[in-house]
Amino acid sequence: MNTFYDLIVVGAGPAGLAAACSAAQAGLKVLLLDEFMKPGGRLLGQLHQEPGGAWWNGIREAELLVLGARNAGAHIQTGVSVTGLNRTSDNSWTIWTNQGCYHAPFVLLATGAAESANPLPGWTLPGVMSIGAAQVMTNVQRVRVGNRGVVIGMSVLAMAIVSELRLAGINLAAIVLPPGNALSGNASDPEAVLGSLLRFADLAPSAMLKYGAKLLQSSMLRKLALTFFPKQGIRMLDVPLQLRRCAIEIVGRDAVEGVLIADVTARGEPIAGSERIVEADFVCIAGGLYPLAELAAVAGCPFRYVPELGGHVPVHGENMQTPLPGLYVAGNITGVESAKVAIAQGTVAGLSIAINAAAKKAPGEAEVKDAMAQVKRTRSEALIQFHPDIARSRAKLYQTEIV
Amino acid sequence: MNEASIIVCRCEEVTLEQIRETIRQHGCSARETKLRTRAGMGICGGRICRPLLDRLAIKPGGDFPSELPLKVQPPVRPVSFTDWGQS
Repeated sequence: MNTFYDLIVVGAGPAGLAAACSAAQAGLKVLLLDEFMKPGGRLLGQLHQEPGGAWWNGIREAELLVLGARNAGAHIQTGVSVTGLNRTSDNSWTIWTNQGCYHAPFVLLATGAAESANPLPGWTLPGVMSIGAAQVMTNVQRVRVGNRGVVIGMSVLAMAIVSELRLAGINLAAIVLPPGNALSGNASDPEAVLGSLLRFADLAPSAMLKYGAKLLQSSMLRKLALTFFPKQGIRMLDVPLQLRRCAIEIVGRDAVEGVLIADVTARGEPIAGSERIVEADFVCIAGGLYPLAELAAVAGCPFRYVPELGGHVPVHGENMQTPLPGLYVAGNITGVESAKVAIAQGTVAGLSIAINAAAKKAPGEAEVKDAMAQVKRTRSEALIQFHPDIARSRAKLYQTEIV
Repeated sequence: MNEASIIVCRCEEVTLEQIRETIRQHGCSARETKLRTRAGMGICGGRICRPLLDRLAIKPGGDFPSELPLKVQPPVRPVSFTDWGQS
């Protein structure tokens, strides 16, 4: 605990690991903290097939990053929860954890994102969970979430997790839309949802979604497709994807027993008289992700509200530096994107911290520029665009031009 | 949709109806909504409903509204008094 560190990284996910690696390679003494028992963050739950057919195995990717960070000399400590962060008079940061305090002149917050809920009546019953919780139980804890589930909400992330649950042999009765209310926004509008699903049509195992994608670029054709979309849904991985049905309420006495669903019009309005109950013993709510930035907030960092990036994000520049001296951010805390973008951002953060700390083997400005260009390249090549306007929002935030 | 049957803040059991009505009556920010309804002031520290309050209270449009985010207090993770005291 008395060891001196130049940089403490909070969060050993893709961004934190990449940053620890590049900063340690430049000669900084780096400590990486994570509250889970294993480093890797949300990479540990990821498993999907890429368009070329290759598998993205998050556990393997995490192992490689951990190896890279350790070989570069970074220390990784798991099972540590960071609970607070403040700047002390001697110009260093104090990091409060459940296992004592740490001090360092540079801190990188790579805390990732959290899931936001999409409340509906009955969502507080035991057996209701976020879809990410089902992912962690299945792929990380290896616990069977239940016997028959219903997924409420359709998004890129939800579909990726549905495919993982199917690989694990978990039975899903249906994927339905959330009910329309003040909180659901576009998530309950069949046309908007179809549009967002088509953005990742290459990943969709259903031939109809795949080959229909180009055809459905026009809004008129999308409306037409929705009009004829079968009520019982299109089977995706043996699970009916029901764009024309929404959940009304989760029912059960002491725990989930089923979901009351209804047919909806092409505009998402429930059709009276079409309600019926789908039996289920667990429900996954897919409500999307938001940047987990609590530590930046307690440190006093200013924020911007950027819906395209998932909500409130700490103000930061393209070099991942915040306005607070020595405080940096990288990964999903800066906006919700893929793990590959997080890795690229982590490298940028590690390099720019090394320059600022005047590290022994500090990189030149050109190297940081290259790393920043790599972030943009990775973003434009990303398989999954979490939001169509990410690049534009980022450019506005950094006041640079879109590549 | 019956907004009275949708709980938004689970800790303080505040419904969507109460929150929407408060915002409508007072035209308030996320922070004021929190103070008026106690949504986000429960034992989880607002970890679950904070983004929902933001979504309900922030008006769409405009370039990065300089809306104050809801205040976050340490400890940002549940921690026992014993562990907290040792720090």
